[in-house]
Amino acid sequence: MRSAEVKEADAGDAVPICSLRVGSRLYGIETRQIREVLGTTAPRRVPLAPQYIAGVLPYRGEVLTTVSFRALLGLEKRDGANCVLVFDDEENEDRFGLMVDGVAGVIAVQQDALEANPSGLDERSQEIFDGAYKLPSGLMVRLDPQRLRPSRLAESGLFGSESGPHERLKQVRQGGQS
Amino acid sequence: MGQKPDKGEVEDLTKEFIAESQEGLERMELCLTQLEKKPDDEELVAEIFRAVHTIKGTTGFLGFSRLERLAHAGESLLGALRDHRLAVCTELISGLLELMDGLRGILHIIEATGTEGERTKDNDNALIARLLELRDRGSSMKAVPASQNQAPLDKLRAGSSTSSGQVAQHPSQSSDHDAVLSALPAAAPGVAMAAAPSMQDKTLRIDVEVLNRIMNLVGDLVLTRNQILRCSPGEQNFPELARRLDSVTAELRESVMQARMQPMGYLFRKFPRLVRDLAATCGRQVRIEFEGQETGLDKSLLEAVRDPLTHAVRNAVDHGIEPPQERIKAGKPVEGVVRMRAYHQSGSVVIEVIDDGAGISTERVLVKAIERGLVTPEQAASMTQREALQLIFVSGISTAKQVTSISGRGMGMDVVRTNVEKVGGSVELESRLGSGTTLRMRVPLTLAIIPALVVRSGGESFALPQNSLVELVYVTQHEAEHAVERMGTTELYRLRKSLLQLVWLDRLLGLEHCADAERHDFYIAVVESEGRRFGLVVDDLKAPEEIVVKPLSAELREIGVFSGATVLGNGTLALILDVAATGARAGVRPEAEEGTVVDAKPAEDETAQIELVNAMVIYETGQHQSAQGGDGGRMAMPLSAVERIESVPLSEIEYAGGRAVLQYRGELIPLEDDGNLLRALAEAEATASPGDARKDGATATVLICLRPEANGARRVGMVVRRVLDVSAGRLLAADAAASQEQLAMVRNRVTTVHREFAQHAGNPQTAILKEVA
Repeated sequence: MRSAEVKEADAGDAVPICSLRVGSRLYGIETRQIREVLGTTAPRRVPLAPQYIAGVLPYRGEVLTTVSFRALLGLEKRDGANCVLVFDDEENEDRFGLMVDGVAGVIAVQQDALEANPSGLDERSQEIFDGAYKLPSGLMVRLDPQRLRPSRLAESGLFGSESGPHERLKQVRQGGQS
Repeated sequence: MGQKPDKGEVEDLTKEFIAESQEGLERMELCLTQLEKKPDDEELVAEIFRAVHTIKGTTGFLGFSRLERLAHAGESLLGALRDHRLAVCTELISGLLELMDGLRGILHIIEATGTEGERTKDNDNALIARLLELRDRGSSMKAVPASQNQAPLDKLRAGSSTSSGQVAQHPSQSSDHDAVLSALPAAAPGVAMAAAPSMQDKTLRIDVEVLNRIMNLVGDLVLTRNQILRCSPGEQNFPELARRLDSVTAELRESVMQARMQPMGYLFRKFPRLVRDLAATCGRQVRIEFEGQETGLDKSLLEAVRDPLTHAVRNAVDHGIEPPQERIKAGKPVEGVVRMRAYHQSGSVVIEVIDDGAGISTERVLVKAIERGLVTPEQAASMTQREALQLIFVSGISTAKQVTSISGRGMGMDVVRTNVEKVGGSVELESRLGSGTTLRMRVPLTLAIIPALVVRSGGESFALPQNSLVELVYVTQHEAEHAVERMGTTELYRLRKSLLQLVWLDRLLGLEHCADAERHDFYIAVVESEGRRFGLVVDDLKAPEEIVVKPLSAELREIGVFSGATVLGNGTLALILDVAATGARAGVRPEAEEGTVVDAKPAEDETAQIELVNAMVIYETGQHQSAQGGDGGRMAMPLSAVERIESVPLSEIEYAGGRAVLQYRGELIPLEDDGNLLRALAEAEATASPGDARKDGATATVLICLRPEANGARRVGMVVRRVLDVSAGRLLAADAAASQEQLAMVRNRVTTVHREFAQHAGNPQTAILKEVA
């Protein structure tokens, strides 16, 4: 629904984009899609959960499932400060979090600077990226929170299969026997 | 008339009126089905009369004349019934049910549009005429079989809510009087149930006392806040204030949560009617029984399980229970039984729909599943019966008509599952061919508070629901090396001469910390759930806490081991372990599959029937002390009746009018002291030498129990010598020849169950409200 609105908007309009740091790259999410930005938090790890789940956080009396964007990109875990963005899961009337290294700031970007995903993109990136803004300083990959919903990531089956609960359990059992 | 009432006050009044009337009609529905069974019960008639009378009185005031006319006709018929000018017959009940549906239909239109849809007046006239005819005819008429009247009604009700919705919206479009007559009333309940936020979903009745308690707590909270605001951080009494704030908030939270809890009985109320109508349509004889109506469930969840339950009951009557001839052939009583049972287990509420019908043939399910390519023949061969039955929930199978006709079940089972899973629950099916089917829904107690023990393993905290916890064993560093013994890859611990399978929580969950756990001390939490009993090995125990269960997102629920999460006292999150799933994951097999299918045995077996009960608290009373030489009387109390075991200093026990009372959570509860233990303790305290622990510090052990009473339950304290054990026991069905006492077999010893609480233990005679449908 929201993407449709964006397309309807005048191509020349500037949209405020929140830029995020993950690793050495910048990513952007439209600010109006973000519900809240939580400062440094340490989500509670959930054993046996898929790797892309960073853990759970208490949020407004509910338990917020948090996705680790680093894990989605296949990057190593890192210690130190991080940031959790809270989004609405439109399909399930729920909320979820996205853990990134940090929030860089808000910039205004012209809508016509957006270009769709190139067809040559690998399957995983195709799944999580939503085009890129051609900025003077370089490309900023656009993210659509609805593509990063935990339920959708689980359905796609592209992430965390190598570390799914069953495989991990097998390892554990073998470990227990030896 | 049909004019829209003025805004503001009238609108509020209307809302209130609708909520009140719907409640009244619900009571009326229940009473009507009971009345059919007990036609001479004047109380029931009076109750029904009141419901209709209230509606009539209020409608006149609010100006809903259509509703008033209908209610008036009903009232005059009921008046005749009340004055014994009429006798109860099937036709009369059906007529009254139709009246009720008619009233409901109009109420719904009012709720949706603010007016009462005047154009369908003719249909009311037909119904009113029928009611008046019934009144004038008296009881001399031979009743028309109910099934004929009910048939079109049920067909419509069984239809989806969309068609009902249309009827409600365009009540005047059909000119066929008969069709509308039966369609409009029939549509009403369906609409009220399906149309999302109906008035009933939005309102909640709360005991004024509960509200007062909440208000008192808020008062406390304000006072504490004032004190904190005035006090500087360095002040000495700051920790004390913080503690008070903590306790007030905790109590406030608890009170609000409890206010949201509604007994399952609210939901069960509508089923006698449903079963009655359905049984008549399908030509079955069915009785419905309820158990565990007092089981509390959060209001929002109660609404969420309403539809799946309706579906399940419909299935049980329609496909589960066989027609009378077949039942006779199979040697069963002609009347089938559908039993609805609700109880708490492992942080969830379990609702079972049990029928004693034909059961489901797993072979046929498998054959069908193979045909449809859902499983390969090899897979099918290796499937257990249980696994095969769960195939019914797969949408491909359940929606297929063929399976419905051969298995007798399956229609819409995937819908049931989807709905229950939507609220974080699960559904399973158990069936024995020829003796019945059990559908078990497990709904999480979202928002509910459960007592749990917080344990540490692998450096993380987990919450272990207390109700699956049997006992705790501490293994010291010294013992650790020899305590664990192995058979193959299974690790075992000798617990009082029997072997207990051990599950290392950190290893099971793949936590890093699992290095040589056997080298240092550890705890074994002996847990039992769904027939699986095992020892869960954890590093450390933290305080027991009353935790608020928060649901996990679907992806995390899928892991299966966690039933939810909770925020601990220190603000961190802890995951709540699902004990049964943990055991299953670790490969612990259920010890014995206990059949929960209703026994279809002949009646003479019933005296020997042994009812399975939950855990029992075994304690020593002060009685028989002299007779048995200091051993005291051994008694058992169902664990479900015991709220808390308190150690109370004697100084806190007060006496009012010669009766010992205790102030407990702002409530004055009476203490029962059968064996005069309090006096004995007081004497011991007085005579103890200074320095003795008993001097000035004597405590009495008090079981805080909930005593069932006519209007709910009351807390009462039982003074006991000491608590011996908590153990699973079986209630021995009362033997007519034996004494009045309810006996139970606990730990292979016959133990007396405290008489007032025996029914808590699931005594079939008292705990089940029987209804004939």
